[in-house]
Amino acid sequence: MQTITRRQALVLGSGAAVFMTVGDVSPLFATPAEADAEIAKFTGGKAAEKGKISIDLPEIAENGNTVPLQVTVESPMTDKDYISDILVVADGNPRPGIATFHLTPLSGKATAATRIRLQTTEYIIVVAKTNDGKFFTDRKQVKVTIGGCGG
Amino acid sequence: MKRSIITSVGAAGAVAGLFAVAALFPVEAPAQAKKVAPLITTGDASVRPWKRYSDWPQRDMSKFNTLANLVSPPAPKEPKKIAGPVTGDVANGQKLVADRTRGGSCLACHVMGPAGNADLPGNVGPDLSEIGNAGREDEWLVNYVTDPRVYNPESTMPPWGTHGLFNEQEINDIVAFLKTLKSPAKFRSPLDDPMKRPAPVETRDNLDDLQNPGMWAVEKAQELWKAKGPLGSACVTCHANTATLKSWSVSMPKFEPRMDKVIGVEEFIYRHAKATTGADWLMQSNENTALAVYLRYLSNGQIIKVDTTSPGAKAALERGKALSARKLGQLNFACTDCHDPSKGGLKWIRGQWLGEQKGQYDHFPTWRTSLQSIWDIRKRFQWCQVNIRADELPPDAKEYGDLELYLASVNSGLKMNVPGIRH
Amino acid sequence: MAEKPRLKVPKEAKKGEIIELKTLLSHVMETGLRKDAQGNVIPRKIINKFTCEFNGKPVFSADIEPAVAANPYIQFNAKVNESGTFKFTWVDDDGTVTTTEEKITVV
Repeated sequence: MQTITRRQALVLGSGAAVFMTVGDVSPLFATPAEADAEIAKFTGGKAAEKGKISIDLPEIAENGNTVPLQVTVESPMTDKDYISDILVVADGNPRPGIATFHLTPLSGKATAATRIRLQTTEYIIVVAKTNDGKFFTDRKQVKVTIGGCGG
Repeated sequence: MKRSIITSVGAAGAVAGLFAVAALFPVEAPAQAKKVAPLITTGDASVRPWKRYSDWPQRDMSKFNTLANLVSPPAPKEPKKIAGPVTGDVANGQKLVADRTRGGSCLACHVMGPAGNADLPGNVGPDLSEIGNAGREDEWLVNYVTDPRVYNPESTMPPWGTHGLFNEQEINDIVAFLKTLKSPAKFRSPLDDPMKRPAPVETRDNLDDLQNPGMWAVEKAQELWKAKGPLGSACVTCHANTATLKSWSVSMPKFEPRMDKVIGVEEFIYRHAKATTGADWLMQSNENTALAVYLRYLSNGQIIKVDTTSPGAKAALERGKALSARKLGQLNFACTDCHDPSKGGLKWIRGQWLGEQKGQYDHFPTWRTSLQSIWDIRKRFQWCQVNIRADELPPDAKEYGDLELYLASVNSGLKMNVPGIRH
Repeated sequence: MAEKPRLKVPKEAKKGEIIELKTLLSHVMETGLRKDAQGNVIPRKIINKFTCEFNGKPVFSADIEPAVAANPYIQFNAKVNESGTFKFTWVDDDGTVTTTEEKITVV
């Protein structure tokens, strides 16, 4: 499994995003670095392993007003071993935060779905935390387009 | 976003003397009424003066065709002669072809090599990534962009020059850019290639109120059904058994001889409610839209079948078909340019799929996710027009009735499925 | 918002079954980034928190940002071991709390 390291510098807001570059990013939008800063707050700077997460998103969204999102994390969800929190951020929205889900063993399954607003083609990044403080992550891109003839 | 306001017309007294009401008031309207429905047959059914929605583009396009007016400048009789090779700013040309504020622009319909980062271009027009090698003279390129009709009178493409979307120097810049296009576009992913992009499939359950806010209109309409109007009656007074209305909306729109005009569900609601309960539910008001959803919803599963045989309906159908082929607005598009598969139908404009006419009526009124509101078919017509840079007509315009009858006839045989949920 | 929440929760389940719950509250979810016709910023007003408890114990909750779409839809799972009552709450930026309950019979 690929380990992506988060340098302590990210917590301070300096330094570029370590593992992702995105295409054109308008200066009016949040940058990947701001999304990374949100993630660093969530993980306390700890490394997140890539894996265990499936992100259900359309590949193309005809508009960014209401894009369905479902995240699922592999976990037995027992009292001893469960996902306690799932962070969802975007790297091309005016602000990176989307939602943080908090789960318990009573959740039964580590999954949550909602509908989100996306400003532009961008990555959704999910970070999951286990009850004993381990972090997993993955990301998925959505192409967001708007009307064809200028409308 | 709040739309439309009910304008209250006044007390029942004002209402009583002013309108022509046909037919009687039955206790329970029978399923196949031999009597005709009471209607207010004079006056307008929508807000007057008609003012475009304030959050829509406010461009004045009165110099170009509408469904009611033929005023667009004519196409040039022949191509203009261009003396020598064209010089232009290639970088500016590359920007212009991707500039959405210019009505598209080119990238909406054409793949063009690196333009727009090859990010979701459309394929209504041919791929121009190698046009620089196609052996076209500069004169041909300049004239084609200025006004394609000098070479192809049936062209779908806007007359960018004749209609003032680009000036002469900008067209030269665009042509200079086109001349540099000599190799196939490099797409970052198959999704960016319109020839490989799969057509969108609507998988949401449109009748699930947790998926489709359009369904909340059904609940609202059921309340309105019981609400007493100024004349003291409500819909429920004559229509307690809504099952008898099951086959009604699939027969709409209808040519209405009393008005010499095609009436759709929304206009009917205004004119019928006004005549029977006194309620003032103008077209595109929240109440009218909720009831339009409800009356269609009552027909869900029934087959759309509109009358096109009466003399009035036949004439309206012919007019509607002709209107669907009329070039409108600054972009000079007819409905058929985008929605007939022989032209732009079933292709992409940028990242938006162009459906064909069959399948474009059975789900109206529909919830629109991009605009977070329920739209009836007349509003959809109006928005299309404004976005191709043509002035819209008021929702009860007779031209919309003709067009709607034509569209409904193309959709005959499909099952009603309302409210829809769409982009 | 005085609108009632909309829910899809099974009325019955087997002991130990993991059920799916769907919730929606009608709410404009004003992001605070939009401007009105005069150019003034329309103030933010969103549902910022959703919680679900079962028989008083926390099951699932969400901290919600303006990037969640209007009429916030939240879907999640719950493992039910006994009959009881789900309690759902939505908290608005202005402090308003909307709450509703659903009973379930577990066999």
